[in-house]
Amino acid sequence: MAAVDQGAGHGHIRHEGWVTEEANMRRAAYLEDPAQLDVAKQVHGIDGLQPNDKRHICADLATRITDPDAFATAFARGAEHPEVRAALSTPYDQDRRPDPIQVPIADLLGKDGHELCTGWQLEPVAGSMDAAIKNRHAWRTALAEERQPEVPEPTARPVPTFEGGAIIFVMGHNKARDGYEIVTMYPQPRDDDFPAS
Amino acid sequence: MGEFYWKRHPDGPFATLIRIATTYLHPEADDLESLQRLAKRENDKEMHAFKAELREAIKDPDRLPDGELSKHVRYEDGSPEAFLRRLWRDLYGDEPVDMREHA
Repeated sequence: MAAVDQGAGHGHIRHEGWVTEEANMRRAAYLEDPAQLDVAKQVHGIDGLQPNDKRHICADLATRITDPDAFATAFARGAEHPEVRAALSTPYDQDRRPDPIQVPIADLLGKDGHELCTGWQLEPVAGSMDAAIKNRHAWRTALAEERQPEVPEPTARPVPTFEGGAIIFVMGHNKARDGYEIVTMYPQPRDDDFPAS
Repeated sequence: MGEFYWKRHPDGPFATLIRIATTYLHPEADDLESLQRLAKRENDKEMHAFKAELREAIKDPDRLPDGELSKHVRYEDGSPEAFLRRLWRDLYGDEPVDMREHA
């Protein structure tokens, strides 16, 4: 974990077990960044890792590996996966990034490894995730500007299972800007269209 | 989502558009700046293909594979049409979508 922390990435900060279920839910629903240690900035949706009070963004899902040993194991094994190694070995270009890589959770953490993954998904609005993400942005912006939102408060639902899912490895530039590294890693369920709660 | 769209359909419609948009613009990457610099490269075959697919997707978004752009990129624009038009402006400014590039 110390080695991971030497890099430019944020996987261990947002997608590991120190992030509580509550914090993960609030990230998916309210765009509150668990990496933001300033509580006032966190509730205003300010990113904890970007400069200049940039607002935090998030996909529809906020997921994590609950156990630090499992996280480290997934990272170490993933870093040796042939596709990940190929991506990391891409000749460096200061403006290019290798594509993300999916590795089955079972390949990294065994057949029961999915039990160490949890997550929350933004609830769709009128059956649309596009609408839900747009509404969440509008709601977050209104609160940050200290005015009444004109859209309903977003809600999130727990991911029922990660069985059959994958770990996503996202590549980016290293701190020296002379090579690539894994800048984040997170579990993704096999299916992201869950039954309505 | 299952496997990435471009893995399931490497020669599928808009595979380059979806792949590059995901790689640079998914919230876990959030790297519009790099994509903007890439878009300025005049002799880049991949970005030529990307631009052509972006242009075609803006003109006829119904041809996009169902839900794939949304599932992969998770934009905040509310619809694939709004996202694609905003992306064109972010990358190519005031250049008209209808302007054809010369080989």
